[in-house]
Amino acid sequence: MGLLQNVIFGLVTGSYIAVAAIGFTLVYGIVNMINFAYGEYLTVGAFVGLLTAGTLPVPLPVAVLVAMVGGGVASLVLARLFFTPINHTGPVPMLLTSIGLGIALRNLIRLVAGRNARYFDTETATFRLTGVPDVSVGPFDLLGDFFVTSEHLVVVGCAVGVFLALHGLLTRTDVGIAMRAMGDDEDLARVRGVDTQRIRDSVWVLAGVLAGLAGVLVAIQTNVSAGTGYSHILQILAAAILGGAGSPYGAIAGSYIIGLVLSLSTAFLPGGMAELSSAMAFLILVVVLLVKPSGLAAREVREA
Amino acid sequence: MSVADRLPLGDAAGNGALLLGAVCVLLAAVFALTPLVVSLPGSLYVFFEVAILFAVYGVLVLGLDLQYGHTGLVNFGHVAFFAVGAYAVAMLSARDSFAGVSLGLPWPVALAGGVVVAALLGAAVGATSVRLRDDFLAVATLATAEIVHSLFVSFEGVFGGNVGIGSVPQPVSDLAGDADTAMLATLLLFGGVTLFTLAAVTRLTEAPYGRVLRAIRADELVTRSVGKSVLTYKMQSFVYGAALAGLAGGLFALYTGAVAPGYFTIQVTVTVWIGMLLGGAANHRGVLAGLAVIMGLRLLSRFALGVMPLSADAFASVRLVVVGLILVAVIRYRPAGLWGDAEELGVDT
Amino acid sequence: MSLLAVENLGKEFGGLRALDDLSVSVDRGELVGVMGPNGAGKSTFFNCVSGVVTPDEGRVLLDDADVTGDSPEALARAGMVRTFQHTRELETMTVRDNVRLAAPGQPGERTLPALLRTGSMRDREREVRERADELVEAFELDHLADEYSGSLSGGQRKLLELARVLMLDPDLLLLDEPFAGVNPTLTREIAERIRALNDDGMTVVVIEHELETLTELVDRLVVLQQGSLLVEGDPETVLSDERVIEAYLGE
Repeated sequence: MGLLQNVIFGLVTGSYIAVAAIGFTLVYGIVNMINFAYGEYLTVGAFVGLLTAGTLPVPLPVAVLVAMVGGGVASLVLARLFFTPINHTGPVPMLLTSIGLGIALRNLIRLVAGRNARYFDTETATFRLTGVPDVSVGPFDLLGDFFVTSEHLVVVGCAVGVFLALHGLLTRTDVGIAMRAMGDDEDLARVRGVDTQRIRDSVWVLAGVLAGLAGVLVAIQTNVSAGTGYSHILQILAAAILGGAGSPYGAIAGSYIIGLVLSLSTAFLPGGMAELSSAMAFLILVVVLLVKPSGLAAREVREA
Repeated sequence: MSVADRLPLGDAAGNGALLLGAVCVLLAAVFALTPLVVSLPGSLYVFFEVAILFAVYGVLVLGLDLQYGHTGLVNFGHVAFFAVGAYAVAMLSARDSFAGVSLGLPWPVALAGGVVVAALLGAAVGATSVRLRDDFLAVATLATAEIVHSLFVSFEGVFGGNVGIGSVPQPVSDLAGDADTAMLATLLLFGGVTLFTLAAVTRLTEAPYGRVLRAIRADELVTRSVGKSVLTYKMQSFVYGAALAGLAGGLFALYTGAVAPGYFTIQVTVTVWIGMLLGGAANHRGVLAGLAVIMGLRLLSRFALGVMPLSADAFASVRLVVVGLILVAVIRYRPAGLWGDAEELGVDT
Repeated sequence: MSLLAVENLGKEFGGLRALDDLSVSVDRGELVGVMGPNGAGKSTFFNCVSGVVTPDEGRVLLDDADVTGDSPEALARAGMVRTFQHTRELETMTVRDNVRLAAPGQPGERTLPALLRTGSMRDREREVRERADELVEAFELDHLADEYSGSLSGGQRKLLELARVLMLDPDLLLLDEPFAGVNPTLTREIAERIRALNDDGMTVVVIEHELETLTELVDRLVVLQQGSLLVEGDPETVLSDERVIEAYLGE
């Protein structure tokens, strides 16, 4: 398989990570917490989507919408129950609470849904392009034949749609502008009359909606089980930190870097070391924290 | 209060633990080295198993409490140092393991090696990470633990992959002869080690040394501005915690006779963290008690499993739901834990 | 001979020049006041001198040794100790421990003596506790000695901070707004204590917003404006200087 094919895989992976990472990083920037339970929101969204598609005679896009609504509602309810009451206690108690909540949610889902992996029963169309020259450099082919599936296109298309909608939201709507103001300086935003609790709630809903969508995209692209969210949380986290925690645009860039690293390392690592490809994402995370903790965007995370 | 209040520096608590630890180790030696043999009722096995694991995790939680409880370092990758200690000891001491490296060195050498390797990993992680803000230190250490875990799984030729390293010597079993006596001797020996650890960390934290650590937790800049080398103390605290975790890992490997990635999941980190927070960070005996509560729950759940109309799998999920909610509830309703000092920890109750 | 000399100090924050070619020197035994309108660079001056931030340009000399960019802990051990504008207590420690912490030369702050409970650690700790109790008493905090310092009032915090830095017996004491948010009675008391320390030979530099107390207290005034030295001299001359009047009225 050529490099080009792996780049395509990387872009697909980067796309669903990006959708999730935007939500994660907005919560970080505005609620000021690292939400370790966020991976479980993806799982919840995916299962809501699967349940809808499996039991109701609705087309897939409707199931996706239901999953997004489900993710948004779940996120808001969980925030109101678990995070808003301890908002004043600082980042570490919030982080620890989210770890506890994540464990509880993950196992609750496992209890209800069982251990099996599920996927959407969709028809796949595969578009192949053959006869592309390999352009080899050493053992690696830079181009080579490649294919794109309809799932790939759906995932990437949804992600691009999300980016455009997000940009519109953050630049054109009052809520979005208030979100950015709060991310920059919460006290100043409050002085200027921003209802900070309402904005926090909006961010929770938005993050949940995005997580729901990301979960469904993972389910469309591969499959989901109770552990899906947890297995993605460190990648999401790595993407968000790489992009500069709190910066949604940075998170998009970070996600595609992570996606490409994941797919390229899977392709080029020797067999039996697949596990290492996820370690690569964590390695990037650690290296970013050490070398440039502020990520691609500037935000200081070291002690003064 | 007089000038000499609390001089002699909490010696009573430290010395008590030291003495009790010595008694435990002596008793362990008696059972292991003499022909004395005990036979335990089969129904008690499960208690002994959990108690031995408690002693091992006790060393872990005391190291973590030095790092977080006293110095404020949010290490959420504690299992990595535990695992590295265990693997190092296993690889150094194993003879002809089925998979991975086995060097067949004498176990005391291996145990020392395990502590050193864990301390070195602690120094490497510490040197790069202790400058990070609390929540990002948590993320960096957690990611480190995941990297370590995947290295163990991936490099089969070295670490034995999912099978891990086997044929690790079990010195206590070898000396004691029969299984029951070995179990009792192991519990006494490990309990002794935990008590020695308790004595050591108590001495450290009751001394002026601990005052500096707690000052760092409260405000690094002030601590620096009165002339204390904050970074050095943070490094030391982190490395000592890592070395203790390595010791715990080494003991674990020499007890089970095998190590595999499955023993070293994030669940270990979560268990010791919950134990520490439940007991009350910065209170050494408190964190041990908190750990006892959490592990007691595990024991209880083993018995409950027998009477519940649930599969073992479903039951494990239920238990973890409860564990997760305990963590959430402790932070919300008892942020200083059961035996912690809310004012000392700077939390509202 | 100057104990502290600052030469051509410059510091920029995100394009904003907080210090611009500032040169000031303080002689041994002096009591110097630093004043200036908000944003004149007073705190940045202290931060650069005490090692909290590293200056972009210039040198800081302590007793003729170049200490530019040295860490706060190294400078504290070298005899220069500072307080903070917004008092920083170790809120999760008792008043007593706040003061004891600052004691220098305690072998028990190293691992081995702490583990082994050496005699030198015990002896030093006995001295430390005695001295700390003296200071706590001298600052009339003895009734609060075992309280966590998080429960102190603003004025008590200022006193505690002073007691804590005195534990180090500094040659040079930098006080950042020691009267801010303190009631008049306590202000007078703190001023008297600073005066007494100076009379005993300690060199003191005080940043203050509160003009009246400062001018009564110090031997010499240094006025900063926009990161540079505006005027310096004895308080009377400085206060009647037109540039100073303008700077303050302009605020």
